[in-house]
Amino acid sequence: MNAINTGFGIWSPVVWTLLFLGIVLIGVAIRSLGRKDYKKDTDQTKAFLSGNEEPPAAELHVRGDHVYWGMTKGFSAYYDRIRAWHTGILSDYVGWFVGVLAIVFIVLALLR
Amino acid sequence: MALPVSFKKALWVFHVATGSCNGCDIEIVAALTPRYDTERFGIMLTGTPRHADVLLVTGPVTKPMLSRLKRIYDQTPDPKAVVVVGGCGSTGGVFYESYNVVGPVDEVVPVAAYVVGCPPRPEAIIDGVVKAVAALEQAGVSK
Repeated sequence: MNAINTGFGIWSPVVWTLLFLGIVLIGVAIRSLGRKDYKKDTDQTKAFLSGNEEPPAAELHVRGDHVYWGMTKGFSAYYDRIRAWHTGILSDYVGWFVGVLAIVFIVLALLR
Repeated sequence: MALPVSFKKALWVFHVATGSCNGCDIEIVAALTPRYDTERFGIMLTGTPRHADVLLVTGPVTKPMLSRLKRIYDQTPDPKAVVVVGGCGSTGGVFYESYNVVGPVDEVVPVAAYVVGCPPRPEAIIDGVVKAVAALEQAGVSK
């Protein structure tokens, strides 16, 4: 029934759906075994962080620049100057684009 | 409040050190060793108070640990029992009225059983936990 034989195995959406539903049912069954007498909207529902207060979620997010902070620190002289140029004004960015494009065209014209 | 089934099957204990010298903590660890083997009674340490039935508190409550002890107590689901292990947690011990100590544990959270000693023996700690649970059961029956 719409099964795809890949040569390494068979992928069937019906089997996959049944498997998914089975896993969900097992998950619901395990969850139903838990205690329901905890006090909602108290510390009993908060994460345990060695007794420390749970910081706001925004402070716990891992931002993209956390991955390459060493590089930005190493090249801070370059990044600090580049950041100053990022005014957030669209006309500035269009101006940079047109300017760089003009330089590229001039260089290409000279090389011909 | 009647005790849940989890109390009868296995007693999960969370250990909180609020400023102890680690003497009592070592004795708690000793109670878990094969010589005393508390797991045969279903008593075992858990890594979070949210799964615990009993809090084992060692040491006097130092000022930095005050808010943390309160929060850990609040995070433990009801019904719960607090067992203080050692003389410092019971009375303040040698740290009584020290500049950086708030006081004994019962000045911060309600305590079900005290296990005195410096440090108490593992048998006494096990006995204290059992007595705390017995007190909880008694309270559950009376209600």
